[in-house]
Amino acid sequence: MLRHCTMGELLEVRDRRGSVGARAHLEECAACRDELDRLHQRTAGLRALPSVTPPRDRWEVVRAAAVAARRRRWNRRLTVAGLAAAAVAVLAVGLPIVSGGPVGVDVVTEDPSVEIETLAGQSRHLESVLVEVGRQPRVVNGMTASVIADLEDRIAWVDAGLEQAHTASATPREMADLWHQRVVLMNALVNAHVRQVGYEGF
Amino acid sequence: MDPGGGRPATQSPPIRIYLIGMTEMTLAAIDELAIQRAKTGDLTALERVFRAYETTVYTVARRICRTEEDAEDVLQETFLEVCHSVRRFRGTASGSLTAWIKRIAASKALMRIRAEKYRETDDLNEEGVAAGWRDGDVGLRMDLETALAQLSDTARAVVWLHDVEGYTHEEIAELMEKTVSFSKSQLSRAHTRMRRLLGEEA
Repeated sequence: MLRHCTMGELLEVRDRRGSVGARAHLEECAACRDELDRLHQRTAGLRALPSVTPPRDRWEVVRAAAVAARRRRWNRRLTVAGLAAAAVAVLAVGLPIVSGGPVGVDVVTEDPSVEIETLAGQSRHLESVLVEVGRQPRVVNGMTASVIADLEDRIAWVDAGLEQAHTASATPREMADLWHQRVVLMNALVNAHVRQVGYEGF
Repeated sequence: MDPGGGRPATQSPPIRIYLIGMTEMTLAAIDELAIQRAKTGDLTALERVFRAYETTVYTVARRICRTEEDAEDVLQETFLEVCHSVRRFRGTASGSLTAWIKRIAASKALMRIRAEKYRETDDLNEEGVAAGWRDGDVGLRMDLETALAQLSDTARAVVWLHDVEGYTHEEIAELMEKTVSFSKSQLSRAHTRMRRLLGEEA
């Protein structure tokens, strides 16, 4: 090669992909060897640049956004699950288990603390219904078992959220939202169990 | 008097190696334990992942983005994506989480520099006018970090991803939605420019 190496050729040589011509030229040309040395030094210098620490802690912002995104996803799923559960509940009409009182999840009041109290009461009632349902003899199919497990996971998540909300001094509205989610999930869980018992009855 | 307190000078390197080893072990432990919990949506585990990688992510973001604010936004967007997608993360090796998170960060940073607002600044910087630098100015030798900052956003991103993070031109082309030739030519131009800015021309 009669001319000096281009930067592109030197980069190829640095990355061990250089052409035979470029490598042969480097053997003979001191200027190009110096240029290659400088390229190596520059690369080493770039790699040695210090890490940069974020100026502010962004975790709380990330956390809040992640929780909000999760809540939106749950709400979307629950809308679908709620519709399915409502259809299934028709099958369960007449079963003595659910005659313990109406369970409504549309409890929205001006005062979140009243709402929390009502929702917590509904949640307790659903827990007792669930215990009753659990006493019925039944065989759970794979799909229902999966739905039940999923709902139980989500309830565990809401419970964890409620616990964290207590320690993080969440607002009453945030607490009421969590309790609302819990009741909706519990309702779906009871319905999933009842449906299985209903099938056994048929 | 012996400044080393009587310890032979040869003891320093092994201590340093031991400390580096401990750091790697800590990171690996965070990977294995925290990922499993983070995959279930555990916010405490997600925070551990955030704490372990925030500086790494911010460094990638800060080197690619022009401003501190943009880099902070990239940090936030990256970890929101991590929170959302960690369930689907299939890697098991200790380095795979780092690579996965860095790739998200690089992608978010590149999306940001592709935004409309950067185009004008890019053109200006290519001419070396933005910060008042002229490549030929006598006596104006800058350090590597400043020279890197003087590159166009695209060239700086290619230099950082290829020379420091170890991405191939193929990977960079995919991330940038450009060709391999584009990536190679950006790298070559960037080094030619840095060479001038650093006063390394023969």
